[in-house]
Amino acid sequence: MISVTPSNLQAEALDLANLSAEQTALEIRGLNLHYGSAQALYDISMKIPTNRVTAFIGPSGCGKSTLLRCINRMNDLVEICKVSGEIVLHDKNIYDKDVDVAALRRQVGMVFQRPNPFPKSIYENVVYGMRLQGVNDRRTLDEVVERSLKGAALWDEVKDRLNASAFGLSGGQQQRLVIARAIAIEPEVLLLDEPTSALDPISTLTIEELITELKNKYTVVIVTHNMQQAARVSDQTAFMYMGKLIEYADTNTLFTTPDKKQTEDYITGRYG
Amino acid sequence: MDKPTMSRHISGKFNEELEAVRNQVLSMGGLVEQQLRDSLYAIEKSDHDLAEQILRRDTKINALEVQIDEACVQIIAKRQPAASDLRLIIAIFKTISDLERIGDEAERIAKVALESFNKDQQEFLLSLENLGQLVLTMLHGVLDAFARMDLDSAYEVHQMDAQADRQYEALTRQLMTYMMEDPRGIPKVMNVLWSARSLERIGDRCQNIAEYIIFFVKGKDVRHVSAESMEQTVKGGR
Repeated sequence: MISVTPSNLQAEALDLANLSAEQTALEIRGLNLHYGSAQALYDISMKIPTNRVTAFIGPSGCGKSTLLRCINRMNDLVEICKVSGEIVLHDKNIYDKDVDVAALRRQVGMVFQRPNPFPKSIYENVVYGMRLQGVNDRRTLDEVVERSLKGAALWDEVKDRLNASAFGLSGGQQQRLVIARAIAIEPEVLLLDEPTSALDPISTLTIEELITELKNKYTVVIVTHNMQQAARVSDQTAFMYMGKLIEYADTNTLFTTPDKKQTEDYITGRYG
Repeated sequence: MDKPTMSRHISGKFNEELEAVRNQVLSMGGLVEQQLRDSLYAIEKSDHDLAEQILRRDTKINALEVQIDEACVQIIAKRQPAASDLRLIIAIFKTISDLERIGDEAERIAKVALESFNKDQQEFLLSLENLGQLVLTMLHGVLDAFARMDLDSAYEVHQMDAQADRQYEALTRQLMTYMMEDPRGIPKVMNVLWSARSLERIGDRCQNIAEYIIFFVKGKDVRHVSAESMEQTVKGGR
């Protein structure tokens, strides 16, 4: 059959249940999570493919953000939170006792709902992670700043005012700055937790465009409330409901012919 | 795949919009069916008044097509339908364009009914009746299947088209015999042949609509696939 979509725009659908080792960036196996006595995630198992965009969708409180936060152990900060099961990155369960969480978070970067630049210059925001790692060579840092800001599609807008405060940027620019800061340390996986929900439609489109670019270098996992956004930017989509993974499929399939009625009801906006 | 249901949206207005457009398709279908039934009657009874009425009524069908098109465009623009809603809108888009063409074919038959045939030639017209009734049954069946989004009856109509094709072939052979027997009658027989052709085309279009219904229910495109794979889609799961 002749495809009518340009091949560079359409990622080929993967067999998500049978990804090979090199296609898999992350594997979640039998993950359960409790906040105190309340269970928030039930036996989640899925493989997240390399260099593609995976979206988690679902109603509020379905556990999608919780699941995302498990991937770089953000939930460790919540005292009553207990995780069982495995998340495997490079043949290593990130919940093993001997894992260095700081190192893990360098490999798995995260961007939040509201842009959270530090009260510093644009330049210092980008190199913050490098400086923490002890890199202070001016030339190296300059290169990192240019590469990261270009990678976050912000360079042209800020190259003449790198020493200005990050707070002078618009919301959309701040969010791209935060993405630049996240990619400055070259993570492998980038977690985006509703990255555009605080932004206007135009900035949203810029970020979406950026996400499509980012997947060439990183594996992107995005949580979004905006279903159209998930449909636009992701290659595969996971629908979650009440802490369970209901359906995980190629995005084109999930939005046109979902397998489960619950998915159908959610994406078409119906009562369950 | 779980069967799509017509359960309610959280947005009541969206429900109303979808319901309204579905109802419009059904009334368009009803109108088209009446056109076909009347054109068959007009040709059988040489009823010129009825044939004139049919020609006038076709504009109503065309207007409905445009109206439904617009309503669908608005739903797509404002609601960004997904999954079964999206498939419903796509199925409606395609169905109304086939319905409109069925209306045109009925109009063509009505034009033939306006001509005068002598007693011998009337005989040719009667030979259209079997094919006409079969095609009318198909149209009625497929509209009924559309109203209920019923997979089985859509498939049944789809299968009936083979029969329509066979009848059309037999009819063509019969009309050719008439032409050979009496060359002076050829112009009239040609008209009858065109009507038979129109009926055969209506059968094809009913088959198309049946395919859109299967697409809506199953989410699979069954155009241009083998009979086996079609049956598999209809009978099987995903």
